[in-house]
Amino acid sequence: MKQLSIVDLSGAVVVVALLALTPVLLNSNYFTGVLTVCVIYAIWAASWDFMSGLTGRENFGHSLFIGAGAYTAGFLATVWYANPWYSLPTAVVVAIAFSLIVGFPTLRLRGPYFALAMLSASAIMQRLCLIFWEYSGGEEGLYGLDPLIQSPLHYYWFVLAILVAAVAILTALAQSHWGLLLRAIRGDEATCQAAGINVTFYKIASLTISAAFAGLGGALYAHYQLQVSPPLFSVVVSITVIIMVYVGGIGSIYGPALGAIMLTLLTELLRTFGEYRLWVYTLTLMLILFLLPNGLIAPLWRRLTERFR
Amino acid sequence: MSVILDVKDLSKRFGGLTATKNVSFSLEPGELTGILGPNGAGKTTLFNLLTGFIAADTGSVLFEGQELRGLAPHKIVNRGVARTFQLTRPFLGMTVLENVVVACLSPRARDAHDKEARAQELLDHVGLGAKAREPVETLPYGDLRRLEIARALATKPNLLLLDEPFAGLGSREIEPLAQLIKRLHREQKLTILLIEHKLREFMALVSRVIAIDFGEIIAIAPPAEIVRNPRVIEAYIGKTEAAHASA
Repeated sequence: MKQLSIVDLSGAVVVVALLALTPVLLNSNYFTGVLTVCVIYAIWAASWDFMSGLTGRENFGHSLFIGAGAYTAGFLATVWYANPWYSLPTAVVVAIAFSLIVGFPTLRLRGPYFALAMLSASAIMQRLCLIFWEYSGGEEGLYGLDPLIQSPLHYYWFVLAILVAAVAILTALAQSHWGLLLRAIRGDEATCQAAGINVTFYKIASLTISAAFAGLGGALYAHYQLQVSPPLFSVVVSITVIIMVYVGGIGSIYGPALGAIMLTLLTELLRTFGEYRLWVYTLTLMLILFLLPNGLIAPLWRRLTERFR
Repeated sequence: MSVILDVKDLSKRFGGLTATKNVSFSLEPGELTGILGPNGAGKTTLFNLLTGFIAADTGSVLFEGQELRGLAPHKIVNRGVARTFQLTRPFLGMTVLENVVVACLSPRARDAHDKEARAQELLDHVGLGAKAREPVETLPYGDLRRLEIARALATKPNLLLLDEPFAGLGSREIEPLAQLIKRLHREQKLTILLIEHKLREFMALVSRVIAIDFGEIIAIAPPAEIVRNPRVIEAYIGKTEAAHASA
């Protein structure tokens, strides 16, 4: 299959080094926190891209897995007073369970059922959090989670390391024969079946992998915020992730990750615009998507490095 | 007499329309058989029933003694029944080689150590070897047909179903493709069932013709006899003209 080129690898090293060193240079806990959120969004965007970007089955409820992971961390901390490090593996397992529950009935079908089912599943979970407020803390959510790592800078580096691992694993999978099959499913399901490929199996398996990383990101987010609340399940979270993927360049894994970092930073930098913030943000998005329908980051990187390949 | 495919009383209705009605026939191993019928006679529906893309209402499809009816399409492929589509459906955004590699990853074909090498071999075999690295979008129609055949062969079929392999091809493309099908049949002892609605193209190719009209088998005979069969002539030219022709 495709070999990772020296150019791509050195590009990745430079970007990761920049991300790792920026908070050291700025030396501000506030900014380190912003970057931590950026990197968590990057994990979510890359994980969305692995399933939906490759197979073309758009998941409009990624927040289901994000929220499931975050609430798992929340329950472990507030109900069972577990060691916070148990959150990460448990969140992954719970998110995988959710992906199987939604994936099995809906990914057998063609058409928009999967997108709609994911959308409603996440909306239902958000409502359930409010209905069962005695257990879930209702609107307020769950408080009092312990940080995984005390120092914000060290925690940021930990989250960044997880992002690097996630992008590396997902990229390796996407460039393997597995990724080829997922792209074939995006192309034509009937032809895939005629080629003897069990389309449903590969769709569910890729959703499971996607969910695992989203849930992991959810738990990381919970231990950063030290609380969880129902908006984690909201459609807004899902749509935000999807926009990040499109801006980054769908199907490239690294593009969506960087797109997420860029857009999260943008929302923070635009705070100087005060109440016009959303206007500027939305206009920027519309311009990017209108002028560059294939996204900004991945296509740009490909064009810049074309001559070195 | 050994039989590789035994179809019995296969029927399928879509609402009030009977697309396939009590179709029964069998194929011997190594046979090259044609399905003939005018447009809309139900040829492609029959293929879809055999390959599991459409579920039959009644009847049975025994392949090498095992029931195929009720199996999902990919499972049928992995039993050794491969098909091509009338409208070629390549995986866009991939190279020609990658299109074949996908089929080399099916469970039945997975034991090949180097999938890329095997895909290249298959492409060489159908005459597309030189175009392996090209994007599939650049292939002309005739080459897409060859690609479909290569992809089907990648799943190591014992029975190959070709859905109108000559449709939309110019006369200069038809002859080499017919040669390819003959070669596959001869060299690999492959059992082939192919659909065609034009008589001329496959008369020289097949040893036996199953003629269908309105979803029913109207005749099974060698090609030379089938063209003189009154029911086949009727299906093709219409009743009045047929009466004139025989008069």
